[in-house]
Amino acid sequence: MRYSFRVTIDEAEVERLAAQVGLTIAPTSRAAVAANLKGLLDAARLVAEFPLPEETEPAPRFEP
Amino acid sequence: MIDGATSALAIAAAVRTGKTRARDVVGGALDRMAARDGTLNAFTRVLRDTALADADTVDRRLAKGDDPGPLAGVPFAVKNLFDIAGLATLAGSKINAGLPPAERDATAVARLRAAGAVLVGALNMDEYAYGFSTENTHYGPTRNPHDPTRIAGGSSGGSAAAVAAGLVPVALGTDTNGSIRVPGALCGVFALKPTFGRVSRAGVVPLAWSFDHAGPFARSVGDLAAAFDAIQGPDPRDPVCATRPAAPCAGELGRGVDGLRIAVAGGHFARLADDAALAAVARVAGALGARAEVTLPEAHRARAAAQVITACEGGAYHLERLRTRAADFDPMIRDRLLAAALLPAAAYAGAQRFRAWFRARVAEVFREVDVMLAPTTPWPAPPIGAPMLTRIGDVEVFTRGHLGVFTQPLSFVGLPVISVPIVLPGALPLGVQLVAAPFNEAALFRVASRLEAEGVVAATAPTVLS
Repeated sequence: MRYSFRVTIDEAEVERLAAQVGLTIAPTSRAAVAANLKGLLDAARLVAEFPLPEETEPAPRFEP
Repeated sequence: MIDGATSALAIAAAVRTGKTRARDVVGGALDRMAARDGTLNAFTRVLRDTALADADTVDRRLAKGDDPGPLAGVPFAVKNLFDIAGLATLAGSKINAGLPPAERDATAVARLRAAGAVLVGALNMDEYAYGFSTENTHYGPTRNPHDPTRIAGGSSGGSAAAVAAGLVPVALGTDTNGSIRVPGALCGVFALKPTFGRVSRAGVVPLAWSFDHAGPFARSVGDLAAAFDAIQGPDPRDPVCATRPAAPCAGELGRGVDGLRIAVAGGHFARLADDAALAAVARVAGALGARAEVTLPEAHRARAAAQVITACEGGAYHLERLRTRAADFDPMIRDRLLAAALLPAAAYAGAQRFRAWFRARVAEVFREVDVMLAPTTPWPAPPIGAPMLTRIGDVEVFTRGHLGVFTQPLSFVGLPVISVPIVLPGALPLGVQLVAAPFNEAALFRVASRLEAEGVVAATAPTVLS
């Protein structure tokens, strides 16, 4: 499975995403948050570009 | 005479045999803290009265013929995200200063106290452990004892600095992506990030549940083992603490390294670092006769996945505070956590899937090798307030974030690591990571002990503060 993550993020996008999780981001922070989010999405994309076997299973062992 | 260079084991021996009183040892530590911490800013809270009262208790027990424990009278301090009964647990934040006091000690704190050690204070850190520099805006930066114009590293910067400067022989910190090993290396002390689940995190403020670890700092391998042995083992208060019995390591120290397969990490772990950091690895490898090289496949993606999981879990944990108290976060942290809270679920699930794959590949490597060597940080401590970006070769990296480039892929899958200190004359400290398979701390202590005995690694006292 491959995911595609955005390569650019602008301040309007930050505002829209923040609203989804009930966050209000101060105008003075939006550019820095956008830059940080781009960095994290770049990291996510680097992970997603690796072709994992379909059966790779992330759930931890359940030992009740 | 007991002073800032005396080991925890020597202190405990002197106290237990009546050669000195715990009160005098603890009083001496408090005096050193008062004299030097104005420069270092390692402590956010000094517990003078309770420390002296606890020391008196140790002395009274000895006078009655009781055994106060193997670390009797040893002063110690903890990163201020460990619960200390009666105090609000700051976790480096202003927000948490308004919380009610902790009702009981964190398990690791309680275990050191039960071993007779005496808690003398709480230590500075990056806010909520989300950083590698301990340039805390609320409480000020912790300064490196080897050069007070430079960072101590983070996020357990106060812990490493307090031990390096001889204020305490032992301290506790936590490590999610390198926060024990990075400051340990930059301050030139021994630092252990145990196997995930080996040391309880009960009563510790989390950063990322999937790979938060607690562990000790010390100036000798013997002290590091003594502290680790005091805190390791199962704990019903921590749901992910391993149920397997404690495996004491103090007895491993004199066993030598015969039979251990030791190799140097190549690939990711040999790139984007100063020559000095790579030379430190070569020095350790040479002393051990380690010529083989191993590769952890896709370690750069492991680091990226660690960043994603840390961000997602940290952003989720702090979401309500970000909604209601964003202005009260440290500006060094706030915008990063806000961004973290906006990541899509697919990023998190993908990173966790990659983690399962990477863990299996790492297990294959450690079927062929017992101990792997890698740099701890890519360079020595940067100046406090250093620019955000640094150029290395033709690549530009984040000055602070890149400090974790070699630690993040390892904590990501819970491997035990000791960072051993290399302090060459006229140079700032560097660290080398000794890495083993899960629950094989014993091999790490054997190797660290051999290196210490041969004088290859040592927590050399800083000269600027003496």
